[in-house]
Amino acid sequence: MLVTTPRVFAGLLCAVAMCCTALAQNASYEPDTGWQAPADAAARVNPLARKPAAAAGGKKLFLRECAECHREDGSGLVKKHSADLRLSVVQGQSDGTLFWKITNGNPDRGMPSFSRLPEMQRWQLVLFLRQLAPLKDSREKQDAK
Amino acid sequence: MWQAFCCMRPILIVITLLSSLALCSKAQESPYFVTYDHHLEEPGNLEIATSSTMGVPRSGQRFYFAPYAEFEYGVTGRWTSELYLEGQSTAGDSAVFTGWRWENRFRPLAREHWINPVLYLEYEGINEASRIQKEIVGNAPGFGEPNSELSQTHAHELETKLILSSNFHDWNLAENFIVEKNLSQNEGFEFGYSLGVSRPLASLASGTKCRFCRENFSAGVELYGGLGSTAGFGFHDTAHYLAPVIAWQVSDNATLRFSPAIGLTHQSNPVLLRFGYSYEVRGFGSKLAQLFGGKP
Repeated sequence: MLVTTPRVFAGLLCAVAMCCTALAQNASYEPDTGWQAPADAAARVNPLARKPAAAAGGKKLFLRECAECHREDGSGLVKKHSADLRLSVVQGQSDGTLFWKITNGNPDRGMPSFSRLPEMQRWQLVLFLRQLAPLKDSREKQDAK
Repeated sequence: MWQAFCCMRPILIVITLLSSLALCSKAQESPYFVTYDHHLEEPGNLEIATSSTMGVPRSGQRFYFAPYAEFEYGVTGRWTSELYLEGQSTAGDSAVFTGWRWENRFRPLAREHWINPVLYLEYEGINEASRIQKEIVGNAPGFGEPNSELSQTHAHELETKLILSSNFHDWNLAENFIVEKNLSQNEGFEFGYSLGVSRPLASLASGTKCRFCRENFSAGVELYGGLGSTAGFGFHDTAHYLAPVIAWQVSDNATLRFSPAIGLTHQSNPVLLRFGYSYEVRGFGSKLAQLFGGKP
């Protein structure tokens, strides 16, 4: 009993932690349909696309600027209504669209503008976002079933 | 100079203690001291900053030291509110509390544009001993009277600014047009301006954490001064300053700023030295709400 109780307690603690993590992720993120990049902005190409090493700087920026709302793994937070950046609904957007959204933000939905960052650093963020582990959204999972 | 510092010791201690409340923070500050750009505080974040203006006046006048504390809060994505507490100490004179200011900045347009306007409205409950010179308006003030007299003259002022700001690649260009009205005296309206241009010293972020790398520094220059009042608009008898500015993001937590301003007219102080140190407490609003059992 003395041996098993701590193990059971630790197991329960792990289970609770995993549940909390799963609940905290925002896999059911619903994008704002009105938040659309103009066509010319969406068509822009990442000037750092051929410099994958620049993504390391993007990761540093992401951890400093974005991780509080989107978490370190990009999974988002339900309570902040922040996007799970690994979902195909996000990853399917063009580099130019992601750059435009980082630059302009969506202040009425809580996403701040990051235009104060130098332009190339915003492209570094886009480069890093492409390295996040891709994840199908919940609707795609249901369709697959 | 040292005597002025000694007089301000209690105020400096309070300001230091207030600053140390910021335990978890980050900063990405513009280097400007006087000019405002269009970047507002992130919603729910609180920035705590301590700054000071040190005036080196012309011969026959006394050195002064004017520290101030700023508490800037992002109310929404388009509204930032800020409270200032300020003091002043003059060499060979006394140290006095010179008042408080409450400013609000509103961004009418949600998206980034070629020129981004911001509307600024501030109420000031200060006295005539105020020397922080966060803005220069009207005609140049005199610095001859003692603090005991100046601090007895209170001023309730309303200040508005039209802030226009643009980003071109890494450069920021900001223009502020200022109108101030002293509600305590029949002085008419006073006018002022401020222009600023700045950029970071490096465009790309390195992949490693570094303290002294160029990406952590931004530099620029400000030009600000008074434009007279409704009694006499123009440059006559006004103070103007040209001020190089530099900001160093010391860590994710804090930014240091410095600006040596050079007086351009006979009515200006020959030199104004400005120092600033700021923290940004992320998620302050939600933490405060949780503390009182509210929804984060």
